[in-house]
Amino acid sequence: MGAPRQQITLESLPDYARHVLAVAENRAASYPVTSKVKLPRLELTVHLGPGALADAIGNAFVPARAGEAEAGACGIFVTHAGIEGIPAPATWGNQLYIPHAFATRLAEAGLRGSYFHDLDFWQFYDPERHVGAQLMMSADGFPPWEPGAPLRAFLHWEYAARGMRLTHAGTLGLNGKGVLLGGSGGAGKSGTVVAGLLNGLDSVGDDYVLIDLNEGVTAYPLFATLKQDPRGFARLGLGQRLKSYDPLNWQGKHQFRVDDIAARPIPASLDIVALMVPHISGNLESSIVPVSRKDAMIALAPSGISQMPGERESGFRFFSQLTSLLPCYRLSLGTRPAEIAATVSDFLARGDG
Amino acid sequence: MQQSGIYAVASKDIVFESFDGEAVVLDLATGKYFGFSDSGSRIWEALSSGVPASELIDATTAVGTVGAGEIDSFIGQLLEFGLLVPASGAPALLSSELLTQLAQAREPLKVDLHDDLADLIVVDPIHDVEEPLGWPAVKQAT
Repeated sequence: MGAPRQQITLESLPDYARHVLAVAENRAASYPVTSKVKLPRLELTVHLGPGALADAIGNAFVPARAGEAEAGACGIFVTHAGIEGIPAPATWGNQLYIPHAFATRLAEAGLRGSYFHDLDFWQFYDPERHVGAQLMMSADGFPPWEPGAPLRAFLHWEYAARGMRLTHAGTLGLNGKGVLLGGSGGAGKSGTVVAGLLNGLDSVGDDYVLIDLNEGVTAYPLFATLKQDPRGFARLGLGQRLKSYDPLNWQGKHQFRVDDIAARPIPASLDIVALMVPHISGNLESSIVPVSRKDAMIALAPSGISQMPGERESGFRFFSQLTSLLPCYRLSLGTRPAEIAATVSDFLARGDG
Repeated sequence: MQQSGIYAVASKDIVFESFDGEAVVLDLATGKYFGFSDSGSRIWEALSSGVPASELIDATTAVGTVGAGEIDSFIGQLLEFGLLVPASGAPALLSSELLTQLAQAREPLKVDLHDDLADLIVVDPIHDVEEPLGWPAVKQAT
């Protein structure tokens, strides 16, 4: 039986975060794999070992095109207790774990972080030095959702520090213009994105896209992952469309990539002209009708804020600004994928946004 | 019983924005969202800036838009939701602009709670993961 592990409290949290960052950085020579990914305005360097996470980092991202200005870099050390010199992760103590208090305590120390209890999985980030550490019990000691959008918490913190935001939304576009599809799980975002891609529209991603409000609303791709439950997969005819596909993921969903089904390469960005809130109507025909900004905000913001650790208030302000900049609509989804895509396509072609 | 006091936003964790005159409030500490109707937004705006409830009731009763009982009950809801707390200090004046907007409001006094995703916020150290939710959602502490 090993030595009892350190128990972390809100009081000891910043010191523990600094300790994890220092230990992970000091063992830099111990990581056999260094992956570099060029993302919009960011070069991400990840130091880690071989395995599922390294594979995910190689596959899940949409690399930024050559020539896109790189405005910065960040480095992430993915480490675990199986590496010599790396201690076992600490565990959360008996204190009630309140994520907002956790994030606030770290923010007061200039740091960011998150913790997943079941695996004692820690992520810490120093936005000033642009350095992060992910500490796990073992090489595969990560939550099952991590490979679908690897290191998203670090990207969330880094981009938030630059005034940009990972946004939980889908996108569809045509000729460089696009719509943002916001709403909680089950609203129909993913099915709409896939329907659009299968019928000639573009997308810069589903689930998480990067949004910049600097000049209008611009969406950039980060992750290429798409997901569909078996029912949607069958309805959309994906079994015939995809040459091969992996077993169902941890959510019981099929996971594949935008470029597996897109007619064209993923655009470098989309100028977003409208925020749409999808809604499964059960009607044959789709329709697009105005919705209040309040309702659009309540559809968009909660999942985007709750799925990302920390930065709650900045997220609320960001999504408020985004919602105020765009006309907002309810997209009532019909039953036929081609008709849904045509409805969005006609909207974009009309330039109603 | 009529509310006659002065109120303030309950804490710095209560943040809000207005969209075309309709307020959305987020309690950062609990992750709960609140969407206000147009009349509710005006009353929230007035109360959260220190306009005494008694003045609001007098003014709105005079213009015949919202009844005293409705305001009483609405304030009770805002207190129960933890959005407002009783406060002391100098009362703020109800602006004529706000009163005009209140007179033009078309919706009943209402605040809707949206807490579908608030379960991420307070977690007991011993818990189960709600994997079907799709992301690192965990059961709320009881």
